[in-house]
Amino acid sequence: MSHSKAASIFNTDEKKVNWHDKALWFVRHKRDKSVHAVEGWENLRSLGHGIKAHTLSNLDHYLTEFEANAIKNGVQVHWAADAEEHNKIVHSILKKHNAKKIVKSKSMLTEECHLNPYLEADGMEIIDTDLGERIVQLAKEPPSHIVLPAIHKTKEEVDELFQEHLGTKPCGGDPQYLTGEARKHLREKFMEADAAITGVNFAIADTGGFVVCTNEGNADMGAHLAPVHIACMGIEKIIPKQEYLGVFLRLLARSATGQPITTYSSHFKKPIEGNEMHIVIVDNGRTEQLSRPDFRASLHCIRCGACMNTCPIYRRSGGHSYDATIPGPIGSILSPGKDLKKHSTLPFASTLCGSCSDVCPVKIDIHSQLYKWRQIITKETPQPLVKKASMKMMGKVFSKPSQFERVGKVARWSLRNLPKSVINSKPNVWGKERDLPLGPKESFDDWYKNREKND
Amino acid sequence: MIGIKTEKKMTSRENILSRAKANKPDLLELPVINVEVFADGKDLLEEFTKKVEVVGGNVVEQNVSETIFSQVSKMYPDAKVNYATLEGAGDFNTVSLEALKKPHELENLDVLILESILGVAENGAVWLSDGQLPIRVLPFITNHLVIVLKKENIVPFLHQAYPILAKKDNDFGVFISGPSKTADIEQSLVIGAHGAMTLTVVLK
Ligand code: SF4
Repeated sequence: MSHSKAASIFNTDEKKVNWHDKALWFVRHKRDKSVHAVEGWENLRSLGHGIKAHTLSNLDHYLTEFEANAIKNGVQVHWAADAEEHNKIVHSILKKHNAKKIVKSKSMLTEECHLNPYLEADGMEIIDTDLGERIVQLAKEPPSHIVLPAIHKTKEEVDELFQEHLGTKPCGGDPQYLTGEARKHLREKFMEADAAITGVNFAIADTGGFVVCTNEGNADMGAHLAPVHIACMGIEKIIPKQEYLGVFLRLLARSATGQPITTYSSHFKKPIEGNEMHIVIVDNGRTEQLSRPDFRASLHCIRCGACMNTCPIYRRSGGHSYDATIPGPIGSILSPGKDLKKHSTLPFASTLCGSCSDVCPVKIDIHSQLYKWRQIITKETPQPLVKKASMKMMGKVFSKPSQFERVGKVARWSLRNLPKSVINSKPNVWGKERDLPLGPKESFDDWYKNREKND
Repeated sequence: MIGIKTEKKMTSRENILSRAKANKPDLLELPVINVEVFADGKDLLEEFTKKVEVVGGNVVEQNVSETIFSQVSKMYPDAKVNYATLEGAGDFNTVSLEALKKPHELENLDVLILESILGVAENGAVWLSDGQLPIRVLPFITNHLVIVLKKENIVPFLHQAYPILAKKDNDFGVFISGPSKTADIEQSLVIGAHGAMTLTVVLK
């Protein structure tokens, strides 16, 4: 399904769209307030960008260094070329420990690899423990945002879900009560877990350690109670030295939610005595993205979600309309790299306003990469006939000023004189869901010339 | 000549590393961090206190007239299960860690007192690591967390914190900023998700 079609489904509930739009804009606002209070914020962003760019330019070296140090720390390191291999590795570790009940904290990578269904097929119970992720798991939906997975759900919907699955009392969607019930429910799961899976925010080459950031404390409750901890990471999570955490931890939470840092920034290095710790390092298309000079900077992403919160298209189309694990502006650069045909409409789901690039804490040129994908896509994938024909026509019109002037006159007259049913007819996609303005009598060109004359 | 059949299949590790090597751009310089550009002249104690409160925690001064244990006991009069890693805890501790068979038995811990060696003014975070944590799950599983911190151990930014941590061999360590929280239901902030429901920093 194209992005615009999927977005139109989300747009059938206007009230919800407005709420979604405002809620995310509020998060963007909190980000602004928080970053404006940081002296040298732009310096910090440049550092984030520079450190990531350097790391990618020496990625094989840092991965090897990280591996060697992690092994020294008593951690078992595994490598997965793709999603399937990742799932097989995780499954075999769990199997070896005869693990049946698994708790997982937020990890976009395991979403990307579709780990849950893979493990469930072998009868394992896998519980997402981040509250937002648990909500969408109960609803049998994918997350719609990388930081706020259940942002598309109303509190009343959560209330109903919890009544059905957790046996809670109807509460009119009281967040305090519902969170309390989720805490009790998930405590039980933590207590009985045979293994814990977490993601990785940063992996540090010079120590072999890794950092996991959460607000809820779910990664720690899982990892410190279960006898086995499996941490899954993409190859781009590497940073060279621990001191650079000072840069990235300062950037991450402020950009994500406006908090000065996440509640917990847990630095794992060695397993608890008697327990096992595993790290699975995954490629799954990342080295290919690294080969594309125009798009490799997309691998700098630290998954803060700021580009989504600020995007006028994302806010009004919802995360599910992107039909990809990572939605929004950054997802629209990453997804075509994996499957150009399936995701060919995503780079067009943007106004190219550039707001995403402005807020990105690691200075990814998101909107120019979107533009570059468009160039490739219009060449390589078939475009709808109407779009192609009208683009061609406009190209001709723009190239001849006299013709442009004539067409403009007709358009202005039409907007003033034709009935709405004609103006908003089907071929005019700009008339869909909106009224076009009344055409002015005079073109800008005429107005400008007359103005000069009158001076 | 090596035929395709006799060629050993590359492992995924070799495959990923060789692709990363082949596909990476020319080496780019690592930027140099000049921490002076971040200096904002804020008062450390004031900023630290403000940030702990912003993230939902409390800051109190240690009373000179009583022990930390009696001060904390008064803060949580209903607490039944308490534990402190500080010296002289005596009667305050109602559980003995040595007697635990597994960390899960700490499930009903009401109040935990720990000492931190480092606080960060810009974000109200305090550092805890294996040295101060006899059992890793302690600060997460407790209902209420009290952390004692010396005022002189507060640094302005994370940039000043990491050089201090680099000198210590931390097998596990965590920055904790405020009590556990979530806003996953319609963006309403709820304090007390999976970790501690309150966090108090006692400054001495
Ligand atoms: S692209 Fe930038 S703004 Fe978007 S999620 Fe990644 S780091 Fe955040």
